Amino acid sequence: MASVVSNKQVMTGTFLMWLECAGISLEARPGQFVMVHCGEETVLRRPLSIHQADGGKFALLYAIIGKGTQWLSQCSPGVEVDILGPLGNGFMVYPDSRNLLLIAGGIGIAPLMSLADRAISDGRNVILLYGTANKDRYHLPSGVTEVAATEDGSIGYKGMITELVPEHVEWADQIFACGPLPMYRAMAKMSELKNKPVQVSLEMRMGCGMGTCYACTIRTRQGLKQVCKDGPVFDMNDVIWEEIKT
Amino acid sequence: MNLSVQLAPANTRGLLLANPVITASGTFGYGIEYQDLFDIQRLGAIVCKGTTLEPWEGNPQPRIAETASGVLNSIGLQNIGVDALIDEKAPIWAGWRVPVIVNIAGETIDDYARLAERLYNVAGISGLEVNISCPNISAGGAEFGTTPEAAAAVTTAVKKATSQPVIVKLTPNTGDIVAVAMAVAEAGADAISLINTLKGMAIDVRTQRPILGNLYGGLSGPAIKPVALHMVYQVAGAVRVPVIGCGGISTSSDALEFIMVGASAVQVGTANLTSPRAALDVLEGIEQFMQDEGVGDLAELIGTARE
Repeated sequence: MASVVSNKQVMTGTFLMWLECAGISLEARPGQFVMVHCGEETVLRRPLSIHQADGGKFALLYAIIGKGTQWLSQCSPGVEVDILGPLGNGFMVYPDSRNLLLIAGGIGIAPLMSLADRAISDGRNVILLYGTANKDRYHLPSGVTEVAATEDGSIGYKGMITELVPEHVEWADQIFACGPLPMYRAMAKMSELKNKPVQVSLEMRMGCGMGTCYACTIRTRQGLKQVCKDGPVFDMNDVIWEEIKT
Repeated sequence: MNLSVQLAPANTRGLLLANPVITASGTFGYGIEYQDLFDIQRLGAIVCKGTTLEPWEGNPQPRIAETASGVLNSIGLQNIGVDALIDEKAPIWAGWRVPVIVNIAGETIDDYARLAERLYNVAGISGLEVNISCPNISAGGAEFGTTPEAAAAVTTAVKKATSQPVIVKLTPNTGDIVAVAMAVAEAGADAISLINTLKGMAIDVRTQRPILGNLYGGLSGPAIKPVALHMVYQVAGAVRVPVIGCGGISTSSDALEFIMVGASAVQVGTANLTSPRAALDVLEGIEQFMQDEGVGDLAELIGTARE
């Protein structure tokens, strides 16, 4: 169980929830997720990325997309939430990587924030490309070098965030991305990324979150993988993008 | 308090469980995944993931969707195959106190017989559960479990191939589940478990397409419990072999309902996805109930609601 510390709307339909649970917070690696039991009206837990961790507390950044996340958004400070985790593999940063390029599409910012926090405190250089539909976007905590893009041009570059990727590729020792499927499909086609180590975090409908029910299986160039246990982070070039559906 | 239950009284090997709470196939992996999370040895038995002769890749994504009080799935029996199970899983099970039952599935009667032969006398395996919800490819794709004749034919073939205890798991997707139950009992099933999932479907109205990649799937969870309970009530009144109740059991109260209509044991399925220790919670709740009600032997509760 984790106790809600705060739960606030940070942009339209998106909430930031801080929870107290040392067992999860201290153990979590960037890119891991938790399975959240969203009240008695739901049967399956909802998988949510760990957004940030700070001492005994950790944060979830989530969009309301159904009755589970709707229920979660109603939880007040002090409420005990039944959470399993941390789960999954998380991002793998090589010891000698100096420059990390992070690419976030929309709510895909969620798991990348803890990666940025950790990398900066480890003395690495981080550039975060953050693309959203418009200026109704999550205001990032300070300390991260951010390059913004909006589809309507209301902030930063006008267009898709993926259009800004090529100019940063050479600088980056490693690239980490989280966003919607079209963003990944666009990246998978970029010749600039063919020989780069690119890790992506996949979102998939899950059952157990522990690798036992086989609901979230995907086929990769390394064979069948469970997104919950073998992922959610995969090498972009291992994923067979034509077969991914969510 | 005595919670033990003999699920194969007519079989010389027997299948004695320390208590009546079993994890249902497909919802608890191979059990191994949970052994560091809580004391799985306290469970009555573990039924492992449905196993086929060769490894199966399963169905296209998406494979799971939540519906009102239920879960639709179309995993498609993704599994590692019987050889990997014997090499990698059974040796671990052999060191356990909790009995492990292997759920087997095939597309021909010969598949089932060969699976039973392969698993015969493998250390760590206490019995078989026969999944007859698979399409019978040699008979045009109708499921084995939908007719008494096909269900009995599978049961006979498995019984001929092994002397291990055999549980046959019935599908509710049939016209007369009592007739199927009587046929498999007649064919030598040591016990009967029911129900498997109910066929169901869900549509994404935005895309105007089925949510599941396989178009339809099997419904489980609390939504199906009343249906399952009635079928267990019917079958328990028609056969002499032990009946294992399954379908939407999430709490000890749910489990007791199945026992009171005549089930000798229960399987916890979808609830394992909600909480990995759901089956243990069910067991502890049953123990508490027996203590509170002054029931010394679980057998005293079996079928009490039928009188």
